[in-house]
Amino acid sequence: MCDFTWIIAGPQATRIFADLGAEVIKVENESYLDAVRGSAGLHNNFHRNKQGITANIHHPKGREVVERLIAKSDIVIENYSSGAFARMGFPYQRLKELREDIIYVSLSGFGHEGRDADYATWGPTAQGVSGMTAVSGLEDQPPAGWGYSYLDHTAGFYAAIGAMMALWHRRQTGEGQHLDMAQVETGMVLAGVPMLDFQVNGRHYERIGNGSRWPAVAPHGIYPTADEDRWIAIATETDEHWAVLCEVLERPELATEPRFASNEVRFQAREALDAALGRLTARFDADSLAAALSERGVPAGACQTIEDRMEHDPQLAARGFYPTAEHPELGMHRFEGLPMHFSRARWRIDRGAPVLGEDTRTVLRDLLGYDEREIAEMTAEAAI
Amino acid sequence: MTGPMQGLRILEVGDLGEVAGKLLADAGADLILVEPPAGARSRRTGPFVEDLPTREGSLHYAYLNTNKRGVTLDLSQPDGQDLWRRLVAQTDIVIDGAGLEVLDGFGLGYDAFSEAEHLIWCSITPFGRTGPWRHRPTSDLISMALGGIVMMCGYDDHSLPPVRPEGEHSRYIAGEYAVVGILAALWQRVQLGLGQLVDVSMHEAISSTTEGAYMNWEYLGRNPERQTGRHAGTAERWQLLCADGKYAVLFGGGVPRAKKALQGLLAWMDEYDAAADLHDPKYEQLLHIRPAEGGELRKHFADTVAGFVGNRPMEEVYRRGQEIGMPWGPVRLPEENLDDPHWADRDFWVTASVAGHPELVRYPRAGYRMGQTPIEFRTPAPALGEHNAAVFINELGVTSDELARLQERGVV
Repeated sequence: MCDFTWIIAGPQATRIFADLGAEVIKVENESYLDAVRGSAGLHNNFHRNKQGITANIHHPKGREVVERLIAKSDIVIENYSSGAFARMGFPYQRLKELREDIIYVSLSGFGHEGRDADYATWGPTAQGVSGMTAVSGLEDQPPAGWGYSYLDHTAGFYAAIGAMMALWHRRQTGEGQHLDMAQVETGMVLAGVPMLDFQVNGRHYERIGNGSRWPAVAPHGIYPTADEDRWIAIATETDEHWAVLCEVLERPELATEPRFASNEVRFQAREALDAALGRLTARFDADSLAAALSERGVPAGACQTIEDRMEHDPQLAARGFYPTAEHPELGMHRFEGLPMHFSRARWRIDRGAPVLGEDTRTVLRDLLGYDEREIAEMTAEAAI
Repeated sequence: MTGPMQGLRILEVGDLGEVAGKLLADAGADLILVEPPAGARSRRTGPFVEDLPTREGSLHYAYLNTNKRGVTLDLSQPDGQDLWRRLVAQTDIVIDGAGLEVLDGFGLGYDAFSEAEHLIWCSITPFGRTGPWRHRPTSDLISMALGGIVMMCGYDDHSLPPVRPEGEHSRYIAGEYAVVGILAALWQRVQLGLGQLVDVSMHEAISSTTEGAYMNWEYLGRNPERQTGRHAGTAERWQLLCADGKYAVLFGGGVPRAKKALQGLLAWMDEYDAAADLHDPKYEQLLHIRPAEGGELRKHFADTVAGFVGNRPMEEVYRRGQEIGMPWGPVRLPEENLDDPHWADRDFWVTASVAGHPELVRYPRAGYRMGQTPIEFRTPAPALGEHNAAVFINELGVTSDELARLQERGVV
């Protein structure tokens, strides 16, 4: 895989391939570094298991390196702004000349075709356009949106899936292709249900906070606990769950109070219900309350921080979700794993992200057929 | 031309398999959804056509089951189990989203088919098939809370609870990763001639989808703080109210990163005499320094731009912003994209029917636009048992009399 990705969306896609054992070679140019290198830990997590080379595409010999790499690759992937890769001298047509059955994945904000193809996105832009931001938030507040670039992950997932499907098709037919991905479209496919609801029922989407609209159940929300800014999520589905909740909160009589006695009245009165519940949950520790409810079948869980997940979550620990590997400068670190186990294979994290140009020499020598003298010359000429 | 996965046979069962099944069925696989005779749980999930909770009226079901065929089977009855085994024998891939031990409980899980060496079996469960939480009850809200997304989303005011982003993302994230696992196993089957079990954990999938959180803890020893409509650690507001009452998202707080964008922004503000002192060359240094180093200079620039944006309508902010090179966006409702001609230019919509509604509607096509194997809409979501005859009679060799008897006994 010839990897021209940067920031997060593209690297998320190639990370999946690298974790699954593909030989992913990230190409960088010292005049145009991956901005995420400034956040070394983030870079390490998204580029682990990959090799890294530098090549100066403005030097004929540097360009030759890239072209040899493309000719040896199954997939070329980039997530520059629309048109940038072609301006660098690599339109799809050129990639095909270098390798007839190449799979080319371009991942930009609005895609390479269409009237707004020149528009650019970062994750939050794409979240705003696609509708991901507007639908998330409390009923009486502005949109809360997302506190990070969720659609960088999502776009990466769909790029990886699309590339794997294209590989499958190529194996069946020998035919490569260009995947013209748009980050905003990967957000819109997550919103098909509200789009149908609008077209069929004329209903505009309204924020419901942490509530549940379909089915309309209550209580269903996020409540304070005894510690500062420590919250518990509780999602009752039945009257039985409600009764158990009241018992665990040491207020069993609440379950049968007329204003809360059925789901229908609870849902109608959910604002008052949530306020009342919040006063009760505030007396408990989040983890013990969640454990007490879970044990009795009521879906509940602490709103876990990253600290909770990495240091205290027994499930993630038992599944080996945070394996360690070494980075030449950052040292040994844990990484976020791939969220699946295979019975006949094992994904691994063999190494951290490459430092700039870490693998240039070995890739040029072992994969691209350069000898040591040529490599030394190109280094001296700043072609690599 | 049809999608890239044509020729593959897939069986899907259970609630959590729905998204993975849709992605593969949309891509051309022949996917048979196996529902209980009373119907999949998805059918009871709203919204519904005209708000009537009928068996065929769920728009949730309609969206997530496009291009699938549908049969009914009661897996608790011996004859249903027999048909299930015969279906599995003809399939490449099983997507098992029925919950841990549901199929195993009937002796119909992966272990029951160990002699079928080619079979790929993808199990999608809330926490994975192993570990202390594997039986823990959950839901979208709970999974999003435990997986860490909730604690990263919400408002500057921390007396307000953190917010679970709406849209059943827990099942999308797990479904997307399940497809990754299935396609990887398919690739390995080419090499080994053997299928395998893929054990996808929704909890892990969500936990690997929180971007900067990992870096903050593993390298900096801190938990990111949730903020209104923007990333942790960002000082300026990104989400601004425009003159028409709509929000725009000004990624980067409205401060340009390139000289050309700065010039474009000032020219635009000049049209309304709104550039104030921003023409002063001192602001150009903002192009070259990190946001955290911008101090009062950056704050004043961002505040001035925010004031300007608050006096312009959202669509102008979005379009003019993009035209001068700022990665700004509208805060749209999902359905507002139906009117944006860019998506039609890209052939993003497919126009098709939805059960119970007289007019055709537009569905999002796919998250990938494939040059040689376009994702096509072949059929809307199947009616309950729509393909019982086609599958059981034509493909498994059940006679029509037998099928009628199975139906009478509630097996199908």
